[in-house]
Amino acid sequence: MTRLIKVELLKLSTLRGSYGMLAVSAALTALFASLEASRAGTAGGGVAPLYTASGLSAVTTVTGWSMLFAAVLGVTIAAGEFRHATATLTYLASPNRGRVLIAKTAAGTVAGAVFGMVSALIAAGTGLAFTAAHGYHAALGAGTLAGDAAGAVLGAALFGAIGVAAGSLIRSQLAGVIGIFVWGLVIESLIGGLFTAVRPYLPYTAATTLAGIKLGGAAFGPAHDLAGVAGPLPFAAAAALVAAIAVTLAALAARTTLTRDIT
Amino acid sequence: MAVIEVSGLTKRFAEGPLAVDHVTFAVEEGSVVGFLGPNGAGKTTTLRMLLGLVTPTEGTAAIHGRPYRELASPLHAVGAVLDSAAAHPGRTARNHLRIHALAGQVPPSRVEEVLELADLTSAAGRRVGGFSLGMRQRLGLATALLCDPEVLILDEPANGLDPEGARWLRRLLRGLAADGHTVLVSSHLLAEVAQSADSVLIMDHGRLIAQAALDELISAGQRVQVRSPRAAQLAAALQDQGANVRLLDADRLEVTGATGEQIGTLAAGRSIPIFEIAAQAPDLEDVFLRLTTSTQQDNQDMEVPA
Repeated sequence: MTRLIKVELLKLSTLRGSYGMLAVSAALTALFASLEASRAGTAGGGVAPLYTASGLSAVTTVTGWSMLFAAVLGVTIAAGEFRHATATLTYLASPNRGRVLIAKTAAGTVAGAVFGMVSALIAAGTGLAFTAAHGYHAALGAGTLAGDAAGAVLGAALFGAIGVAAGSLIRSQLAGVIGIFVWGLVIESLIGGLFTAVRPYLPYTAATTLAGIKLGGAAFGPAHDLAGVAGPLPFAAAAALVAAIAVTLAALAARTTLTRDIT
Repeated sequence: MAVIEVSGLTKRFAEGPLAVDHVTFAVEEGSVVGFLGPNGAGKTTTLRMLLGLVTPTEGTAAIHGRPYRELASPLHAVGAVLDSAAAHPGRTARNHLRIHALAGQVPPSRVEEVLELADLTSAAGRRVGGFSLGMRQRLGLATALLCDPEVLILDEPANGLDPEGARWLRRLLRGLAADGHTVLVSSHLLAEVAQSADSVLIMDHGRLIAQAALDELISAGQRVQVRSPRAAQLAAALQDQGANVRLLDADRLEVTGATGEQIGTLAAGRSIPIFEIAAQAPDLEDVFLRLTTSTQQDNQDMEVPA
């Protein structure tokens, strides 16, 4: 199994697209963290001043993009094999398709963790840099920052696994990539805005909860600042929920897609 | 000893017609077998079932007595080229091979060896997306040879190869055969495999319609032209012996399924004078086309409503 995982990681590391996705995720994180930091403390900005824990946290937890891009990378790990007809070679080398799915999931998880780590470092760095530039003291301790970063790493890792499972199920790379963005940025924002009671249980929202992002903080539109009746899920519950979604999707993929003929 | 054994292999996709219809054959160790048939004959589906990529509706396929999926070290047992496009366009040829070397547990030095073998060393650092079809075919062959497998299964490996590439492929197949490899190579052109294959399997409309040594196929396709003043009488006598006869002229016949010696002996026995007898070199493509066309005709006949 270790060899299979190494093969999948080698596949990822030998494609410029993998680094491109990491770069875009990092750039969007830097952009949105800078925007949040610029708005902090301004009238009508909706973000508390940077000298407060709430204000600084709004910047240091802008890690949601890494989760979406980790899922997109996961989709390409799985569905890309069908797009480029390389599934034939993969299954010739490893006829046990279940083991291949596990290896791909592991690779997606590792790559997702890297996305989360890079994003967390950039968001924290941006927040601290703006805070220092204003001459404020950091209102968040190292423990809080490290905890949020660890949550971002976990959330992105789990989203990497979800992406692999979704890609295996859908087998269309384009549909999978579009689906990830539409789900994360549109559908969850709509459902979360309309049905506040279910908002904490939505996968992307739950994953962002792990990273310390306030409920709805990664959503767009009215759902972004909507005060809900339900609070965020506890860390363990959110982690268990997102992991359960990844496992369920992978089990579905193993039962359906992986038994299909490779023609 | 049979290395590849296929028995009653059948595939029906969804509600469509049978793509492969109860195909049975065996490939002996160390032989090069041409797997022929027109496009859509069911060759690729048969090969994919043999390699565990497509699940048969009925029947079995085994390599070294085991289904492909149960082979302990499949890449070392079988090398396959099924799709020339099966490489990520954004990856370099060398990295493509490094991945499969890792999967097959062969040292990275082997990557350079197969690049050299496929004449791709100078292009090893280029992305596969910029490769010609011929270069992709050679990369596919390099991938198949990476783990030095005993059995090679090649689906239309000559597609896209220029004359130089086709010559390279023929040399490669002959070299592999000389080294004792077992090769099953599919093609829709008999001439492509005629120079390398020991025997051929011919498929059409999902069915195996012929299985013969190449020599047998050549003699079956041999045509003999005969000139005789009693051509009609000779034709009847030959047909009685099972030969196929076509009357070209009042005194000229074209005979298949009988040699010049057999025709001469038969004519002498019946006191039929022969003025001229000439064996013509068989046109292998013609043999192939006659076999596949007759199957198509049979199918059309079967489909004609009463």
